[in-house]
Amino acid sequence: MTELIVQQQWFLWMTLLPLGAAVAAFLAPRQAHWIGLVTALLLPLCALAAIAAATLSETQTITAGNWPTPLGIALRSDGLALVMLAVTALVGFIISCYALGYFPVRGHHQSRARYFWPLWLFLWGGCNALFISGDLFNLYVTLELVTLASVALIALEGGKAALAAALRYLFISLLGSLAYLLGVGILYGTYATVDIILLGDMLAATRLNHAAMSLMIAGLVLKSALFPLHFWLPQAHTMAPAPVSAVLSALVVKCAYVILLRLWFEVFPALDTIAIGHLLGLLGSIAIIWGSLMALRQERLKLLIAYSTVAQIGYLFLVFPLAHTETMASAWIGGVLLMMAHACGKAAMFMVAGTIHHTAGSDRISRLAGAGGPIGVLVVVFTLAAGTIIGLPPSGGFFAKWLFINAALVSGQWWYLPIILSGTLLAAAYIARVLGWAFLDVKRSSYPVIPWMMKWPPLVLSIIALLFGLIAYEPVQLALSGAPVSSPVLVEFGP
Amino acid sequence: MELALIFDLILLITLIALAWLLLASSDIFRAVVLFIAFGLLLALAWVRLGAPDVALAEAAIGAGITGALLLVGLGRLGSAEHYRGTRTRLTFLQRLSAPVLIGVMIPSISLILLLELSLHASATPGQQGLVNVLLDVSGTNHGVTAVLMNFRAWDTLLEKGVLLLALISIWSLDQARPLFRQNDISPQLTGLARLLLPIMIIVAGFVLWQGDHAPGGAFQSGAILSAGILLAILVGYTLPTRRQGLSLRLLLAVGFSVFLLVAAATLLSSDYLLKYPDSLAGSLILLLELVATASIAALLAAAVVGGHPPDDLSKPVDRSSAVNGGQT
Repeated sequence: MTELIVQQQWFLWMTLLPLGAAVAAFLAPRQAHWIGLVTALLLPLCALAAIAAATLSETQTITAGNWPTPLGIALRSDGLALVMLAVTALVGFIISCYALGYFPVRGHHQSRARYFWPLWLFLWGGCNALFISGDLFNLYVTLELVTLASVALIALEGGKAALAAALRYLFISLLGSLAYLLGVGILYGTYATVDIILLGDMLAATRLNHAAMSLMIAGLVLKSALFPLHFWLPQAHTMAPAPVSAVLSALVVKCAYVILLRLWFEVFPALDTIAIGHLLGLLGSIAIIWGSLMALRQERLKLLIAYSTVAQIGYLFLVFPLAHTETMASAWIGGVLLMMAHACGKAAMFMVAGTIHHTAGSDRISRLAGAGGPIGVLVVVFTLAAGTIIGLPPSGGFFAKWLFINAALVSGQWWYLPIILSGTLLAAAYIARVLGWAFLDVKRSSYPVIPWMMKWPPLVLSIIALLFGLIAYEPVQLALSGAPVSSPVLVEFGP
Repeated sequence: MELALIFDLILLITLIALAWLLLASSDIFRAVVLFIAFGLLLALAWVRLGAPDVALAEAAIGAGITGALLLVGLGRLGSAEHYRGTRTRLTFLQRLSAPVLIGVMIPSISLILLLELSLHASATPGQQGLVNVLLDVSGTNHGVTAVLMNFRAWDTLLEKGVLLLALISIWSLDQARPLFRQNDISPQLTGLARLLLPIMIIVAGFVLWQGDHAPGGAFQSGAILSAGILLAILVGYTLPTRRQGLSLRLLLAVGFSVFLLVAAATLLSSDYLLKYPDSLAGSLILLLELVATASIAALLAAAVVGGHPPDDLSKPVDRSSAVNGGQT
């Protein structure tokens, strides 16, 4: 019996389960929320089982149908795939609980709830399929699945503005996907395979390969909203219903970034990537400053959080210039850690913003004035979650930035130091601005009742985000198993 | 040989001219018609490139179904077109972005690619050799079908999911409105439909069966069937209300769900996702193709109709009437 459990390919079940649940939720709309909840309960268990199975077995790559790789599709359960599966399972579970409270089963918004669950489960399955894929064309298919579900979820709010934001997101995403696909086509035309490992071994530094790389990176950068291609993100992320905003900011943006990580460290190491790395680093630095400044100017809480996402994406792109030979592991693991920490923190923040909108009738920051009573809890949750965005110890964000600073010093790129530090200060400033309103001594006439499903799940997630640094050792070890980087992770300053 | 070259040149020039005309056209209807023509000629180009499978798909889906979708969309827009609302003034950067993207980026990318590709004139044969070697154990006799339904079945499974997801997205937006008024149907069209419908069903079946050993298969066959369904809708057939609930949803989802079930079953029995047992491979592929055809036909037709069927959720369930309905 235990053998049966251990030998199951749990990471594959994690793609089939949500996809099957999505179909079930579509077929039985009245039971959709129960189907969603059961799936959300099962997926974290599957993630634990997948991690346990991976630590016991040696093989990290299998192919669908067991066909040999130039033909078959490689499916991987390496460290990156496993930590992303696990984080998605955790964040997805909490967002699902929150959505149960947000989309009431009875009442006016039944049709929204009816379509939320199949779309969200499709999105979840698509994300999981993306994380385990080791095949460039399969990555494209999963990316389309994720994109299409996101577009429909943004439009779920209804109304002209949400439709416009969804449509713009659709066009932008299609442009990004097509650029990526063109690059994949060029690589396939030369090497007759789309397998990541095989391509990594064969690729030579020809001009055609550089063109393919530029196209693929440009498409993915557009999809992961790096400055100046972030223009679509604030509208798309704020027009959506709160659980959807959380999903988009915490998970969907990371999907394109995970593909970028895989490409950069596994497919293109043979190419001349230094110039592009510095360009990405420069854009990332501008994104940090610009996104934080814009966040500081916003009057609405959701827009503030969305611009904060723009800034945090900037940090993620510092990985590419910082990954030199000796600092490769530090930069890589810093990026992975930041992805995980940001997923937890940002999801909690968006959920809180949704609850505040729900109770105060508006998400204007000024509505937080004199937030005692029920909203007081939310402000606490918001602050805890913001800890990891600012990068306070012992949050995951702190450790990620520590690793980045370390890599910057060791690789002699000191100019990233002031960028990272000023980004931190600006983040502290825009969070303090929100808190400033909450501490105003204003008497309120009424305090609304908040369903507990909208109050406590974000708290759990924000506590996890804040304490993530304390338990970071296990995820880091896990992520490093089978990682494409081999240098030691530097945690102390030094040569 | 020379003759073929001349034909190719004419085809290419026509394609580019059509593309230019449709992009430059200010009349959207004209642009849509040109787009359909463009799709058909593109299918011809695929034939010339030796890819009849892609040609079939391009003609049926790229020109046919997409054209129908665009025309229906245009019909909906037509009445609302003059409610444009106020146009906001574009900023300098917004003004600049389109010319830069279209005028500079795309030509320069194309130029770089053309220059580089002309150096690598000899294209690789792809994985043709490997596919031919493994064809015997794939359960089918046509390379493309073997790749789609067996070697890279995981991609196909997810693509079926994309199709279903697209329909759920359309349904989530709005409720379906009637495409036209019932009393507009001309008797000639009804007569034509009576003649064409059986032929279309037979052709769809033939194309599906063809997929085993020649270009054809579920996508093309489903597209033909959905054209038949649309023709039937145009002459006034409607799905009875009691079939618009679970039965319709089951039909839409059956292709993807059976594929998922097969994936789960293979994963349970053999530890490998979508590794068909040797003796069952042929029949499994046939089953998957059959249900996929049914779902694709229903999905494409439902996408053209647009919007979800009249809601049964918005009203409270009337238990007595539900029971009565069950008894009758």
